[in-house]
Amino acid sequence: MADLRRYFDDIQQGEEYESPGRTVTETDIVIFAGLSGDYNVLHTDAEFMKRSIFGERIAHGLLGLAMQAGLFTRATQAYATLAFVGLRWKFKGPIKIGDTITLHAKVIAKKETAKPDRGLITLQRMVLNQRGEVVQEGETDLIVERRP
Amino acid sequence: MTPQAHLFFDDVEVGMTVATPAITVTGAHVGIFEGLVREPGADPGGVPDLLPLCLAIGLGWRAPAPPLVVLAFMRFEWEFVRPVRVGETISSRARVLNKRAMREGGVVVEEREILDAAGEVVQRGRFTFLVGRRPKEAVA
Repeated sequence: MADLRRYFDDIQQGEEYESPGRTVTETDIVIFAGLSGDYNVLHTDAEFMKRSIFGERIAHGLLGLAMQAGLFTRATQAYATLAFVGLRWKFKGPIKIGDTITLHAKVIAKKETAKPDRGLITLQRMVLNQRGEVVQEGETDLIVERRP
Repeated sequence: MTPQAHLFFDDVEVGMTVATPAITVTGAHVGIFEGLVREPGADPGGVPDLLPLCLAIGLGWRAPAPPLVVLAFMRFEWEFVRPVRVGETISSRARVLNKRAMREGGVVVEEREILDAAGEVVQRGRFTFLVGRRPKEAVA
């Protein structure tokens, strides 16, 4: 079968990707609370949150982060990724039930590594809501195989 | 005396540490996570890198210490030291690095680590939270 993954050599600095949208539902938040065990009132107590600065329940920050990782796989052809080595991430605004998020990603750095069969790709990522507001943003570092 | 239910900004001390109970990462966790976020591609027996981090947050709520009154998770920097495999048992450890008062509460920076069953670090980084102040009426 043809290898459709993109290698370090194929990926160009400055490439940009736009994902499809995904509407974040109450179900997503409930499943994430159950999976993670994070039942913080921010995500689970509708009455308490009516009186909060957000006015309603909000998605877990890490749910938004995890969802954008999924959106990335739908935004572009898969990279030949060997490892996800790190990230720097900011939670800039709430994701509320019914919000639709999209991911905008851009390759901002390509670096050689000590090992000749791989390289480091840094992506800048922005998670936007339906109003175009940045709700999360950051950078992720991936180790990607070189073309064999 | 009633045990304290919450840890407010005023209660946080630099250097405080919290260790959580452990959890075994199962194929069910991986299946639910992959279905939820649609991040396929972990090799058989592999665990998506973000899953241990998500589980570690929940473990924090089970730690034998009152939970921080987090108003907002502001940012974090994270390093994936090595992949985690299905069947491994992980736990988490946090230490307060610094705190800074603000008008509506305060910023608390924690160093967090996720450990394997042997106590080796598999992921680590720094979390920055906005933490609430103790409400006036709650002062003992």
